[in-house]
Amino acid sequence: MSKPTSDGAPSPTLGGTMEEHDLAAAPAGAELTAPVQRTMADSVPKGRSEQFGGWLRLIRGRGALEIGIIFVLVQIGCVVAYLMAPDSFPYLSGANFNVLSQSIPVLAILAIGAGVLMIAGEFDLSLGMNFTLCALVFIHWYSDGNVLGAFVVTFAMGIGIALLNGVIVTRFKIPSFIVTLGMMLFWDGAALFYNGSSAARMQRGETLQTIFAGQVGPFRGQVVWLVLVAVFFWVLMHRHKLGNHIFAVGGNESAARAISINPTRIKLIAFGILGLCVALASILVAVRTQSVQPGTGRGMELQAIAAAVVGGVSLRGGKGSVLGMVLGAALILVLQDILLLSGAPGFYLNLFIGAIIVFAAVFNRLIEGKAE
Amino acid sequence: MSMSAPSGQNGADMSTSAPEPTGEVLLELSGITKRYGPNVCLKGVGFQIRKGEVVGLLGDNGAGKSTLVKIMSGVVKADGGDYAWRGRNLAAPTRQETEKLGVETIFQDSALVPSLTITRNIFMGRELTNALGLMRLRKMDRIAADILDSVVTIEGIKSPRQLVGSLSGGQQQAVAIARAVHFKRSLLILDEPTSALAVRATEALLAYLTRLKGEGVSSLLVTHNLHHAYEVCDRHIVMNHGRKILDTTREQTSVKELTAAVVEGELGLQRYRQSPT
Ligand SMILES: Nc1ncnc2c1ncn2[C@@H]1O[C@H](COP(=O)(O)OP(=O)(O)OP(=O)(O)O)[C@@H](O)[C@H]1O
Ligand SMILES: [Mg+2]
Repeated sequence: MSKPTSDGAPSPTLGGTMEEHDLAAAPAGAELTAPVQRTMADSVPKGRSEQFGGWLRLIRGRGALEIGIIFVLVQIGCVVAYLMAPDSFPYLSGANFNVLSQSIPVLAILAIGAGVLMIAGEFDLSLGMNFTLCALVFIHWYSDGNVLGAFVVTFAMGIGIALLNGVIVTRFKIPSFIVTLGMMLFWDGAALFYNGSSAARMQRGETLQTIFAGQVGPFRGQVVWLVLVAVFFWVLMHRHKLGNHIFAVGGNESAARAISINPTRIKLIAFGILGLCVALASILVAVRTQSVQPGTGRGMELQAIAAAVVGGVSLRGGKGSVLGMVLGAALILVLQDILLLSGAPGFYLNLFIGAIIVFAAVFNRLIEGKAE
Repeated sequence: MSMSAPSGQNGADMSTSAPEPTGEVLLELSGITKRYGPNVCLKGVGFQIRKGEVVGLLGDNGAGKSTLVKIMSGVVKADGGDYAWRGRNLAAPTRQETEKLGVETIFQDSALVPSLTITRNIFMGRELTNALGLMRLRKMDRIAADILDSVVTIEGIKSPRQLVGSLSGGQQQAVAIARAVHFKRSLLILDEPTSALAVRATEALLAYLTRLKGEGVSSLLVTHNLHHAYEVCDRHIVMNHGRKILDTTREQTSVKELTAAVVEGELGLQRYRQSPT
């Protein structure tokens, strides 16, 4: 039945169980020679180029392709500008590399936490205050000489605060926006209560510096942490079944429940992931700056959510990519950097950043509309 | 039959003349009630589904069919009544429990995730993974493509990697069906699975239900197309305003009787029995 036709039509791969009534569906021009049955099995990518095509299709409509293109274009623009005027626009200078490679990882890790939670269909506005509290707790415990305890308590704190939000949100079915808004204020106050209003300082520890803030080639060591975190969560979200369930719960909660996925469990895991990212980011900052103020994390939640949105994470849940979150964070900070390098006054930075966020949201909405 | 005869009809002579259905009783519901606020939507419904039986669940809009389906699959809890699986009483099972029993449902409001691919939807909750829990996406893609080609024969789906949100209503229904049929289950519940399917896909699905029967899989088909139901179902249950008004085998009924029961309820059924024209 699957004899190659004389005109060299591709020999069909039979699905084995194909029913006979496929004749009507055979492409025109192949009617009488042999019923060329184009099954979908053919379209599972096999060759290298097909694989690439499949990969492109895979990230299409998930935001990562578009943000990736924009990111590359911005980078090219920056490099060209640097080559033309290296003195007035020192983009590729060591100092600038240093700044970017210590700020991007922190925001990107927070964006991954916020983004994963957004994919699950929830928000956490208390992320910034959680961050502050974690950094303060780390510094205090570390300064008391309990290094191991500092790590344990910081991670327990970060995950615990996020999980508490998760429990309230899922148990009482309240929108996470309002719960975490309240919690944001609560933990802001708690940070002041715990630490007082002055900055908390810690001694410089060489091992700690090497691990969390060392120099790796032209970059700061935080970049290595970002790569580790990003790869781990990329695999988890896009290749592991848990990630699949997180997407399902955010994309259609009642569907997920009908397939016997437990949405409460999945959402709690997503809140936990956010807590983990917050704790790690707070340690990176605490070790590098060695001094943290109770107000350090204010506004951080909005930046992290903005980075995720710029990176193509849908505000309605169920859509987004880890690569997009990282690129979103990088793009925001690179654009901020460009403004600073080109001498824009610092006060007005928010004006540009805000415009970028709105633009990105509109842009992603347009793309979403096209993909649907 | 062990079940109480449905109210308001001559169920007694039915059970004497009918060839007693063989096969073990898989699911037995009795006295199921459910209300939404003041609206009582199931008023004590009971019936059995035997192994390898195709049962049609019919009735007008709002009769309570989908609610019953949701109770059977455990996504909605009944207010009262019994749910027995292979003779074992389970009170009100959750979806997780019915999943373990092997109950698979295609819901009317198709429960798909639009932002994920066809493959990921088909395998949702039952991903093929390696020991670390990482999904074997290529294998899943291949199987997904195969099911869609062989069972539901739907037109116009190009690749199992398409996002479900980008499919037409009928194509989405096909994906929901593909998901339900792939995993060998003991009871397949289909709530209006063909309402958006074209002729060819519908026929393929109905043929598939008959084939499943041969493999000992029971199915419950909810449909508004009485001809389809009459064609493939061994037994028909007609609901009307939250009550079961007819429970009969194919041999004993006709499309006409089913139509009378669905359209005009008990009154129509009585009128039909007086003058079956
Ligand atoms: N979640 C709900 N909340 C309130 N009322 C509901 C709910 N679900 C169903 N109902 C009511 O219960 C009754 C039965 O609904 P059901 O969906 O079971 O009907 P159906 O027989 O499946 O109808 P159709 O053929 O139109 O799908 C209807 O009157 C409906 O309004
Ligand atoms: Mg219904």
